[in-house]
Amino acid sequence: MSLALVVGLVMAGAPLLAHHGTGVAYVRDKEVTLKGTVTEWFWANPHCGLLFDVTDEKGEVIHWGAELGNPHSLSEAGFSRDAFKPGDKLTVTGHPAKSGAPRLELLHLVLAGGRVLPERSVKGNGVHLDDPGQ
Amino acid sequence: MRNRFMFSIVVPVALVACSCAAFAQTYGTKGYSPGAWKPDELPKGLSNPAHFDPHNLSGVWSMPTKPGYFERHSLNDKPIKIAPNVPPQMGSDAYPPPMTPWGKAKFDAAKVSYGPRAVPPGEGNDPVSSCEPLGYPRDLWEANLRPFEFVQTPDRVLQHMQYHDLWRTIWTDGRQLPKNPDPGWNGYSVGRWEGDTFVVESEGYDDRTWIDHFGNPHSDQMHLVERYKRVNAETLELDMTLTDPKTYTAPWVGDKITFVRAKVAIFEEICSPSEEGHFNDTIRDPAVGKSKP
Repeated sequence: MSLALVVGLVMAGAPLLAHHGTGVAYVRDKEVTLKGTVTEWFWANPHCGLLFDVTDEKGEVIHWGAELGNPHSLSEAGFSRDAFKPGDKLTVTGHPAKSGAPRLELLHLVLAGGRVLPERSVKGNGVHLDDPGQ
Repeated sequence: MRNRFMFSIVVPVALVACSCAAFAQTYGTKGYSPGAWKPDELPKGLSNPAHFDPHNLSGVWSMPTKPGYFERHSLNDKPIKIAPNVPPQMGSDAYPPPMTPWGKAKFDAAKVSYGPRAVPPGEGNDPVSSCEPLGYPRDLWEANLRPFEFVQTPDRVLQHMQYHDLWRTIWTDGRQLPKNPDPGWNGYSVGRWEGDTFVVESEGYDDRTWIDHFGNPHSDQMHLVERYKRVNAETLELDMTLTDPKTYTAPWVGDKITFVRAKVAIFEEICSPSEEGHFNDTIRDPAVGKSKP
């Protein structure tokens, strides 16, 4: 994957996942990237969530969680209710919680097979920002 | 791919009718999210030109969304600069009339999730964060994200909101507003035609709801007047005035709101308290350190 694509995805991530309160709960000018294993994926209105375990350098397992937007907009961005299952390995990038808790606002993630989500940038109503005329 | 195909067909037509009409094209057409229609479940002819009758508001309506277009989140609001890279609903604020002491105390008690007073939802008391009823008119601001539908019957106009799958009844059988009604989340509404304008008057609101995302309050004395006008097949305009002397020292006159016809079908988008509770327990509250992750 080219650097340009990575940067593009990072920039594209914010509108997709921007919803109420996230701007004050997470540090918008910082990013963390973590390798983890999915423990739970829930697909529900109006918020989805991804829980995953990360083993730190001391061997301790940290239970992380990522905040996502509503299923309708996420489905337009390539997510689905069966996008993840417990045990899936992935690399997650997001804005960390201001509190320091192991929670983040998802920017993008890469599955073990190389699939990257979100696939495209959409608004909270599912409108594709890269569609002509948007 | 289907969306792209539909888009390519619809855009020329929509651009002729109204340059805004294409922006809601992708609503509900993928069918992957809970409650959403699958493509073969959608009504036929969604993209056909609408019949224009100024006395018929029927149709699905949304607020246009496009870069540079300011999304309405209250009777009136304006963009403000609070931080870089914030979504519109965070980077705006309403400007209501001066509040009474009662109204100001209620406003101060609202720990909101939007605008300049926003706190992390895990530390707030915004009803939206626990799937409590939003009430009217706050439901209406969801039209930025979710469309609503007007359905006209001989004695009622029904306003079907996608969020919460909510039906608001506006009686058109000539009845008057009831005296001292029991408060309701969405009030009690009657409508009448004045020329080509559909005038809706409403009272009987439960004062636990907020007027908007910014925590502007109302009392059970709120009187709402909405004036809808379908100016053409694709465009519906709304002027709203709110009077609530217990809360505000003057009427709150809203800015004109323009809705565009969304060529989609309303789908079920229930906010389930247990599902949102799970989100709060596992993501939102741990994010602010309220509970152990």
